[in-house]
Amino acid sequence: MNRPIARGRAAFITVLVLTAAAFFLSLLTGKYPIPPGDVFRLIAGGDSGGLAGEVFRTLRLPRTVAALLAGFGLGMAGFVYQTVFKNPLASPDIIGVASGANLGAAAAIVLSGTSAAAVTGGALAGSLLAVALVTALVRVSRLNTTATYILAGIVITSLAKALIMALKYFADEGNDLAAIEFWTMGSFGGVTPARLTAILPLFFAGILGLLLLRRQIGLMALGDDESRMLGVRLGVVRAAVLGCSTAVVASVISVTGLITFVGLVSPHIARLILKRSNFSACLFSGLAGGALLLLADSLARTLYRSELPVSILTTVVGVPFLVYFMHRNRRRVL
Amino acid sequence: MNGKLRVDGMRVAYGRREILRGVDFTLGEGEMAALLGLNASGKTTLLRAVCGLIPLNGGDCLINGRGYLQSDERRRARLISYLPQRHSRLYDLSVMDVVLMGFNPHISLLASPGKREREASLEALDHLGMKDHAGEDFSLLSEGQKQLVLLARALVQDTGLLLLDEPDSALDYPNRHRVLSLLRNLLKEDGRSALITLHDPNFALAYCDKLLMLRDGLIVRDQAVSGSGAGELRDCLSLVFGAVDVIESRGRFVMLKA
Repeated sequence: MNRPIARGRAAFITVLVLTAAAFFLSLLTGKYPIPPGDVFRLIAGGDSGGLAGEVFRTLRLPRTVAALLAGFGLGMAGFVYQTVFKNPLASPDIIGVASGANLGAAAAIVLSGTSAAAVTGGALAGSLLAVALVTALVRVSRLNTTATYILAGIVITSLAKALIMALKYFADEGNDLAAIEFWTMGSFGGVTPARLTAILPLFFAGILGLLLLRRQIGLMALGDDESRMLGVRLGVVRAAVLGCSTAVVASVISVTGLITFVGLVSPHIARLILKRSNFSACLFSGLAGGALLLLADSLARTLYRSELPVSILTTVVGVPFLVYFMHRNRRRVL
Repeated sequence: MNGKLRVDGMRVAYGRREILRGVDFTLGEGEMAALLGLNASGKTTLLRAVCGLIPLNGGDCLINGRGYLQSDERRRARLISYLPQRHSRLYDLSVMDVVLMGFNPHISLLASPGKREREASLEALDHLGMKDHAGEDFSLLSEGQKQLVLLARALVQDTGLLLLDEPDSALDYPNRHRVLSLLRNLLKEDGRSALITLHDPNFALAYCDKLLMLRDGLIVRDQAVSGSGAGELRDCLSLVFGAVDVIESRGRFVMLKA
């Protein structure tokens, strides 16, 4: 076996072990202590009985699964955005997904109080609407290029931010304003089996779409002329790829609120470790995102007497990883 | 496989500025033609227009008698391979990954290239002397090596017509001869056609079947090389390059500044 393949396999095994360890750590972490032996029994389908089993099934397991899926989805989607937009700093907000979700959540909070279902629905509708508007703007401009998507994203993001400011201005200072702000910091505290189950179809539809379009995503790293002359039906494929990545991101953040840095840092970690930018690196980015978010959420539950917003921890956990890999690969970063 | 191309009255404009003002020419089966013109004469625009990458203001392009400009990218990529003058910057992709991209028009949207495609890619790289670099990072190759890899990608795309925009610009002297000679042999073997923009007319005289002289948005001369005398070729090349002389040496023509 040649060296790059052996190195790639070792890296995948390492990230899988790390993700599994972070998953188990997350199941152990929380206000209500569940001993490791009980966790193993519960995972194996046994029943530890009483409160521990109830906490595990209704809170701990859904939350841990949500953190894993959210990290995986954001890591993969981040990789896709950076590839499609040929921009190492691209994130879901480049086409307005995050801002749309933020506006939808803020509107739901102001109009309906802090009903979890309304906020989830509002965020999901807001993000999908924002991307639909971006796509409509691109169509109106009749210039179906990557740059047009970015410009349209800036327009919709700016509009969403203006509307969010207006909502904040008129929001009730006591509850709504704080809820809007807290939503932008992200948390898995509100994950329930019902909310998780509700977003899973959209999430997995997006992931499946990205898996199926993996080769076209790689070709979109080329300039528009080159990819078109290699047979990529750019207009259709770009819309499909962005639709799938939007479905993944929108389904995640509608439940968790905004989670920063995972979608940005995971693709870089994948590329720096694998030294490849193909679809294997995209999957690796997803796994790295899962491990990172599981670790961040475990810390969010333990560092302080009340739960911390997870976006603080994703940044705190992600920065050292990135700095380490940048240092180790300093000749390749720039 | 063949790629007989006919361009009829092609007009292209950027805004109000008309770049091509009614271009006409044909390219026969197995023919290799050089498109010669000064900087900003519209050579790249012409190639992009033939590819269907920019809309025409008038005229049409036909391959084997059929219009194709209205077809989608996938169908066009089965007819034409295009090597742009400036390639995209690609990072963290192996040479093999880059060549395999050439199979995209021929495998279904959701499939991946397999063993057969990998073997064909290695063969194409071998033709161009790049087989030993197959596992290397494309971004770390020299510009000349990258050009050879992209040419291998264009070859595995397996189309009847190749449009190559200065495919030799980053190659050293021996590699220029090697690549143009290889292209010429491939075209003769399987009846493919190629339209190539070149800056050095001497390479066009040495390897191409005919010269297409582009000036003022028109093909002002369509001149076969073989069968022509030095005087005819001098008159042809003078239309674009001004005062030049063409001499014949050991059965080959060479252009000199007069």
